[in-house]
Amino acid sequence: MSHDISNAPNAIHIQDLTLSYDEHRVLDGLTLHVPAGSITALLGGNGAGKSTTLSTLLGFVRAQSGTVLVAGIDPGVAPDAARRRIAYLPENVALYEHLTAIENADYLLALSGDRKDRGVITDALAAAGLQERAWDQRLGGFSKGMRQKVAIAVALLREVPVLLLDEPTSGLDPRATADFNALVRAVRDRGTAVLMVTHDLLSAADVADRIGFLEGGRIVEEVAASGTERFDVRALHARFAVASKRLAA
Amino acid sequence: MSLVRYELRLLLRQRLTIVALALLGVLTIAALVSGMAEVARQRAAIAAVPAAQAEDIDAVADYVDRTKDAGSAAYYSFHPTWDAPAPLAFAAIGMRDVAPYIQRVRALGLEAQIYDGDTFNPELALPGRFDFAFVLVFLSPLFVIALFHDLVSGEREAGRLRTLEALPHGGRALWRRRTSLRLALLWAVLSIPFVVAAAIEGVSLPVIAIVVLVTAAYLLFWVALAVLIGRLRWSSVANAATLAAAWLVLVLIVPTLGHVAINAAVPVAQGAEIALAQREAVNHAWDVPRENTMRRFYANHPEWSDSAPLGPEFHYKWYLAFHQNGDESVAKRVAAYRAGLEARDAAGRALGWVLPSVGVQGLLTRLADTDLRGRLAYQDRVRDFHARLRAFYYRYLFRDLPFGKADFDRAPVFEDVPGR
Amino acid sequence: MSVTRLIARDELRLMVRNRVAVIAFALLVLLTLVAVLSSWSHQRGNAELRARHQHEAEHAFDAQPDRHPHRVVHYGHFIFRPLGPLAAFDPGVDAFTGSSMFLEGHRQNTANFGDVRQSSLLVRFGQLTPAFVLQVVAPLLLIFLGYGALARETERGTIRMLMLQGATRGQVVRGKLMALGAVALLTGLPAMIGFVALAGQPGALALPMATIAIGYAAYLALWVVLIVLVSAAVRRSRDALLALVALWTVAVVLLPRVAPDVASAAVPLQNRLQTDVAIARDLRTMGDSHNPDDPHFAAFKRSVLDRYGVTRVEDLPVNYKGLLGLEGERLTTTLFDRYATASYDAQRRQNALVEGIGLLSPTIALRSLSMAAAGTDFAGHRRFLEQAEAYRYALVQRLNRMQAEDVSYADDTAVDAGADRRKRVSATAWQQMPDFIYTAPSGATLAAGAAPGLAIVIGWLALAAVLLALATRRLGARR
Repeated sequence: MSHDISNAPNAIHIQDLTLSYDEHRVLDGLTLHVPAGSITALLGGNGAGKSTTLSTLLGFVRAQSGTVLVAGIDPGVAPDAARRRIAYLPENVALYEHLTAIENADYLLALSGDRKDRGVITDALAAAGLQERAWDQRLGGFSKGMRQKVAIAVALLREVPVLLLDEPTSGLDPRATADFNALVRAVRDRGTAVLMVTHDLLSAADVADRIGFLEGGRIVEEVAASGTERFDVRALHARFAVASKRLAA
Repeated sequence: MSLVRYELRLLLRQRLTIVALALLGVLTIAALVSGMAEVARQRAAIAAVPAAQAEDIDAVADYVDRTKDAGSAAYYSFHPTWDAPAPLAFAAIGMRDVAPYIQRVRALGLEAQIYDGDTFNPELALPGRFDFAFVLVFLSPLFVIALFHDLVSGEREAGRLRTLEALPHGGRALWRRRTSLRLALLWAVLSIPFVVAAAIEGVSLPVIAIVVLVTAAYLLFWVALAVLIGRLRWSSVANAATLAAAWLVLVLIVPTLGHVAINAAVPVAQGAEIALAQREAVNHAWDVPRENTMRRFYANHPEWSDSAPLGPEFHYKWYLAFHQNGDESVAKRVAAYRAGLEARDAAGRALGWVLPSVGVQGLLTRLADTDLRGRLAYQDRVRDFHARLRAFYYRYLFRDLPFGKADFDRAPVFEDVPGR
Repeated sequence: MSVTRLIARDELRLMVRNRVAVIAFALLVLLTLVAVLSSWSHQRGNAELRARHQHEAEHAFDAQPDRHPHRVVHYGHFIFRPLGPLAAFDPGVDAFTGSSMFLEGHRQNTANFGDVRQSSLLVRFGQLTPAFVLQVVAPLLLIFLGYGALARETERGTIRMLMLQGATRGQVVRGKLMALGAVALLTGLPAMIGFVALAGQPGALALPMATIAIGYAAYLALWVVLIVLVSAAVRRSRDALLALVALWTVAVVLLPRVAPDVASAAVPLQNRLQTDVAIARDLRTMGDSHNPDDPHFAAFKRSVLDRYGVTRVEDLPVNYKGLLGLEGERLTTTLFDRYATASYDAQRRQNALVEGIGLLSPTIALRSLSMAAAGTDFAGHRRFLEQAEAYRYALVQRLNRMQAEDVSYADDTAVDAGADRRKRVSATAWQQMPDFIYTAPSGATLAAGAAPGLAIVIGWLALAAVLLALATRRLGARR
């Protein structure tokens, strides 16, 4: 499964982004483009700037210099407009324990300004792999995988140009990871630009079209799943180790 | 379904919210019922006055009719006055439980009568009344704290904060919606029972509107405080503890400190001194020539000075004259005492401008006319009535007219404040 | 060091490192000091004022010129309720009852000029006294410091860590109790020091003071146990805090206000107008001195004439008007006593009802304990009223007897120019009238009045301790 993404428009456009908290420079000339219909995985150690990149895209923080565009909109200027175009899956999917799966999806969609009928929601839950008997159960007893399925169903239903994933597979067993990756690919195939921040090299290599290595607030390496830059996992491991060492030094 | 309705469903699924709202509703209704029962008791007591009074005055009339002596009539006739509760009194009982609302006076020295109290159990009055004002001023902030302390911090602790803020209708608009919804629910739970009770009690629309607005404003103050503390990004527990401490300080400690400070800063000449001085002035008349008393009385009341001179026998016009002289001799002290009370009241009210709890209590008791000003206004009405009583009996005494049974019916009758 | 003490030390260290807790504690100590000082100076000021007024009133009474005894009956006497030394700790109903009373013939007046009618609206928010601080504020501080004691450990799972290290559940709970108990001791200490300082005053009684000290100690201990109990029973700190604040609100703020309303609805009091009218009515049927045909007074006159063996009152060796005054006062006072007793009993029943509700709220029980031991409760006020009434009756009857014996009937009924002079009794007589001296209750009486409240507070403490023992067994067993 290979995609030609070179000519697609960039749904996520980050150019020369610089951001500091107090004295500490978190993003340092970050440049990252994620075309529509592709998956980019962003790898990096703690403090490399992964979360800040997501926060910038979501309009939670504003960069001091550089350009950020989400589907052509600057989230620093118009965060609501940008958020209408983003579906976001945080690392720990926390939903309302006292609402059922369907009610949670219904509520989050309402907050997105994107209401759907029950039938549409159940289709999405089914597509996300949640068994039918769990649809009307309260979330109190759900596992992380089940919660994530509810959240991904919401993301699927949002039909937005951008999907942001924050450490989506941490804590999932291999089977659940594989299911999840399949879903992400399905979203990508609908034309959505997916940016995935992760530690999980295996999962990234399995699902991503491109992998960027983030270090010191900028991309230090970028490889593609196809073409001349085509990566193999062993080589990636080696690079990741080098990157980590450099970071430690 | 609008977003607010989603929020409502979400909110009403939480046990804490349901319990809190239901409890507040029950307390509000209980306080209103209790206040209405108290006011009904007071109205019934006032309504029972004429019958008791008629029985009492008939006996006096039987006795006086034998001598037709106006002096005996004046001496033995007690005339009832009363302070009917204002329509809003049920919501803020104020001082009505410790100050008399029925008082009988006779045409003798008023200063020896006007400070009398009625029977009340001091241990029951000590903790204060359980009325709507109490629920609003003391209890409603605690419910605000229960519903608002984890407004944002709760989402953060549950890990949902980022998810919610990343949604187009999440973020600030979401907090606004949730804040207004909670505020509206609390407000409704307090206001709807109040409006029903106020309608039953015949409170005028503007007054209802003011109380309902004050309720909203007072809740808003506490909500603002909760939101402000929420901004500090502490944990829900820290928020709750801080807010409860703020409640303790603003509702209990500062008012009690203020009370100590005001009473120290505004000393009030003890009312007991008025009573002592008045007694001395009155009784002194027995030890000085009676002409001195009459001269002094006529100087202040020339309209009676053409009355016949006193004979060697006891005459009630002399007796009543020295009683009035006694009152007049302490007039300055009375004015100072009253000014002191008003100054204390004004100082308390001034504190109300900076302390919402005191401000709301002051405003409600003012609207209900159950505060010190209401008490003093009642005293003024008693004073006016007493002046009419004096004028009534003086006409008989100073003109030596006989006072028969029929004359008892001609005595002035205390008049209600219009609209009560 | 034992495990229990280690755990206690750790808990205290945590509190000391919590800046908010330290500030709150410091504020409470400050508040207590302000309360002790202001309450003491207020009590001192009031006691001095009343003593001065009493002195003035006695002086005025003694300085009366020659007067007809019946004038003096109406001149009357002012008396002022003295404040016991413990009133500085808990003034109780003092501000509500009025401190001065005018005593005169044929009338029973009310005690007037209570602070509650002479102060701004703030007086109804409560009064800042050491008792108020300990009853209301101290429990809330303990809640803030202690709600997380066990809930925090359960929430974070550290309770299991402790147990893995070999600490038993009992040791953990006892350690927390010890830590919070130490805080409670420190909290109560400033008020107790102030309390002991008051004991230096003459007239303070050991037994009621001990009752108060034990009562407040038990009350604070009860809150310590309750806090640890709730903290052990719930899973999250926040739930513990909310539950405890709710408990505090109900027990300390709500029930003390609801109980009086229940009591006053259940036991109605007759108001003054109804009482006065009823007394006048009874008097008319018992004997009306104004009515020349009244059977009671006709019989009285006959019996007097028979006793002295004369046929006309003019021939009596004593002044008949004085005898009439004696008899009239006897009749009215019988009625006053009957109606006053009925009213006092109704109020006592109301207070008993409130104390019954104290079974639900230890604060109500403590409050009545505290007021009863300090002698500032309704019973204390009633003691004053009854002594005042006894004094009034004795004074008036002395004057009536004086009229009967020292003023001749002929003079008393004469209206000639010199009659007024002849009716008067020498001024020296007034100085010989005994002054009103309030007999303070004994320590045992006060302590006995406080016993029911003390029993309820200790009962609560025992119940809470049993519940805590049960909750301890289940500690850390969940999840």
